[in-house]
This record gives sequence, structure tokens and C-alpha cells, in this order.
Amino acid sequence: MDKVKRLLLPKPIVLSNGKSVQPKLSPMVYVIPIMGVLTYYSLSVTRFNIGTLIRRGEQFWIIVDRMIPPNFAYFSNIYTPMIATIMMSVVGTLIGAILALPAAYASSQTMNQSNVGRTITKWVSSVLRTLPVLVLALIFRIIFGPGAFAGMVAIAVFTFTIMTKMFFELIDTADMGPFEAILSSGATRIQAFWSSIMPQLWGQYYSLVLYNFEMNIRNAAILGYVGAGGIGILLNERLAWRIYPDVGLILLVLMITVLIIENISRFIRKKLL
Amino acid sequence: MIQFQGVTKTYPNGVSALRGIDLHINQGEFVAIIGLSGAGKSTLIRTINQMIKISSGSLLVNNIDVTKLKGKKLRRFRRDIGMVFQSFNLIKRTTVIKNVLAARVADMPFYKSMLGLYSKQDRIIALEALDQVGILEKAYTRADQLSGGQQQRVALARCVAQQPQIILADEPVASLDPVTSNQVMSDFVKINKELNITVIANMHHVDIALKYARRVIGIKEGLIVFDGPSTEITNEKLKQIYGRELSDDELMGEE
Repeated sequence: MDKVKRLLLPKPIVLSNGKSVQPKLSPMVYVIPIMGVLTYYSLSVTRFNIGTLIRRGEQFWIIVDRMIPPNFAYFSNIYTPMIATIMMSVVGTLIGAILALPAAYASSQTMNQSNVGRTITKWVSSVLRTLPVLVLALIFRIIFGPGAFAGMVAIAVFTFTIMTKMFFELIDTADMGPFEAILSSGATRIQAFWSSIMPQLWGQYYSLVLYNFEMNIRNAAILGYVGAGGIGILLNERLAWRIYPDVGLILLVLMITVLIIENISRFIRKKLL
Repeated sequence: MIQFQGVTKTYPNGVSALRGIDLHINQGEFVAIIGLSGAGKSTLIRTINQMIKISSGSLLVNNIDVTKLKGKKLRRFRRDIGMVFQSFNLIKRTTVIKNVLAARVADMPFYKSMLGLYSKQDRIIALEALDQVGILEKAYTRADQLSGGQQQRVALARCVAQQPQIILADEPVASLDPVTSNQVMSDFVKINKELNITVIANMHHVDIALKYARRVIGIKEGLIVFDGPSTEITNEKLKQIYGRELSDDELMGEE
């Protein structure tokens, strides 16, 4: 083994005065073979075939070609579901973000002194976090019936889990000095948190909310596939019926909406930080 | 009136910061506590408002046994004690007036403090406190745009807005330059005299301590080794407190 190692070691660097320095073994020596093996297995498990990719790949362009020109007359049908999609994300993000505040407080090492309480809240939010938003939507569709309400709840829960984690980490790194000052003036821990920690973090909080909102708009577009309302229902239907000009318009409107919202959101986030 | 009797404090990691403190401080006194870093100065002042719980002994503030206070009663008690810190502990991203108003939240119902619904009277109290330390015109400036000395004055105003009977100051001028230090200390003296508020300050710089405080307490390894008027401090006594000659760093020197 030692011999192999010596073989792989880079050559020593010799200085002009004769001293030599031995550079360390690069971790790539291990990483590259492991990646190679993993890639090989992934290709065989997914039955990756470059021939299929090339032969069927042109189908993509055929479909794109059929989408052009989009059927603009279809717009009156997608207007309402598109607004529903946006509203699902707006309300879902808001509810999730508001509920994440107390949960982040309860998960924070510096704020919540009860080890038991902190462990429970962290555990609940990590378990919820393992569920992808599509799975959440499936569950809530069964509970609340199909429609935008189920999608909204799914987005709220999804946002809640992500915001809780991201925000409690911010709380833990906030400056504790002002907190001590307010606590020493006779405030409760929650009052001190609200009036000394939150003023440090509002900018970052709003930025997180907007970031989640951007993500949720994209999520919301697909929730219709599992019956949770919004534009996804129509997209699924039109694709299944192969009415490509309608699909073209849905995708076009979706792209424009997402781009507009992302750019507004990024602009505001830049101002906040 | 603050009364320590045989107060000790041992931290969970085994460090004993206070090893039998007997002390009596009357209302309206201006006391400086001096000693090496690690001698127990910070622990001592934080036991007064129970930010640090004592291990044994008795501690009375205005004849109330503060070690038995809990929850609501403890918070009510803390409202009468203001605190000022070496690093100012201001909320830097917000305005001066909001920093000062934060001292009022303890007196408010939670929903009001949550929505920032300060009463007109609270605002007047806050502005008057700023006026008292001479930075009224900075009320709507962001705290991080002020100089160190101005920030410490905001912290002092926050303390005054709490309308306390006692002000605890943990090295209030240790991170300021000599000129600013003298200005801030003068503000402390002014508030001490005009409002008859007891001031207890941990001081890193001995010359500043002797200049402004009427009474000096020297502590060494958790015990009081000197307690008397600042006029009675001699080089001998200082050697006793510090166990060595003072270093340049412990003297601020005059401007």
C-alpha cells in the first residue's frame, strides 16, 4: 500500500537552495475512481443509452415546433388558473413564513433554553422537511379534496419547514449583546427576542421569504399534476391530449410570470441586504 | 441600598468567581470596581440584577432578597436596574430612538411591544433621556452611523429611559478613546447627581475610575481587598489589588 501511495504522490518541489517540499496527496486520487464507479452503476441502473438520446432527442424539437405559434386564443382559459397558481404561492408562502418565526425561535439554541422543547420542534420540522412538496400536495389533496386549497396548504407546510431551518440558524448567529441588554431591563425572553434580535434580522427574513416565494411559484406550477390546483392541471391535460399550441401558450405565460416575479424579487432582495 | 453578605459564586465549570463578598452600597453612591480581568468584576455586578445567580450568601436590594425572585417578580425587579456594557449592545441596524424605546418594552403588554405601539409618553421619556446625554439631534439616525462615544451615550440614554434606581456599568469606557471616555464618564456623574441614581461601574482604566468615582472597591481573586474613598487609593494599595505594578494599558492617561 505504501508503495502505491509513493507512486501516486506528486514529485517533491526543490527550491534553488536545495531544500525540498513534499506536496500532499491530492484527494482527487480517491474522488475520481469513486465517481467513476458510481457513474458506471448509475448508467446501468437507469439504462442510459446514448443511442436513444440521439435518436429520440429530436422528438423534443418536434414538440417545440408544434408549440409554435402558441394558441393565443387559449389565453382566456389559462388566465384564472394562472392567477390561482400565483395566489396559492403568495398565501402559502405567507402562512408558512409567519408560522416559521415561532418555530425558529423554539429551535434556536440561544433563545430556547429548554432542551426537550428544542429537540421536539427540531425533530418535527426535520421530519416534515424530508417530504417533497409534491408528496405533501398528494397528502393534502386526500385530506382537503382536490383544488388550489390543498396546494396552498402544501406550499405553506413546505415553506414552513425550510424557513424554520434557515431562520433559526440566522437567530443563532445574531449578536446577543442587545438581547442581554433588553433582558436585563426586565423584559421576557420573547419580548427581548422581538425587540433586539428581530431588528437585526428583518432584512434577512424578508429576503428569505422572497426567495421561498420564487421557489414556490415554480413548485405551484407543477402541483396541478397531483390534483392540487393551479396551472398544472391544464398543462397535464393539454399535454395528455397532445394539443401542443395550447401547451406552448401555457409554458410561455408561465415563463414570463416566473421571470417577472424572480426579477422583482431579486431587485427587492438586493435592496434589503 | 444593596447589601452583600458572604456572597459566593462558583460556575458549573468549577471556577469560583466570588469567594465571600461583604458589601454595602447606599442609594446615590458612585462606586468604581477595579481589579485584574478575571478577578470577578463582571460577575459581581451581574449578581445585583440576577443576570447571574449566586451560589451562596445573601443579597438584598432595597431590603428584598433578590435571590428568591423568579419570573414576573424578577422581571419587575430588573426594571429598576439599568445596565451599560463595554460593547454598547445597541441594535446597530435601527434608529437611536428605537434603541432607547427598547428599554420600555418590559413595561408593555406583549402585543403592543410586538407591533411597536409605544405610547406618546414613552416617546417623550426616550427623547428626554437622549437630551440628558446631549444627543437629542441624533434621535432618528441609525445607531451604526454614530461614533463609539455617541453609541455609549445612546446606551446610557436607554438605561435612563428605563427610569432605574441603580445603573450597572460593565467597563463602560474600555473601548473608547481618552477624550470620549471623559465625556461619557461626565454623563454618568451628571446622571448620578441629578437623578440620585446609584452607579456601580467596573473600570479597566484605574486613573479614570479614581477621577470620577467617589468610592473605589478593589477586588482580587473573588475577594474585596480594598473598599474606601477614591482619595485614599495609593500606589501601595493598587499594588495590593493588582499584585503588580499597573500596566500602561490599565492607565488611560490624559488627553
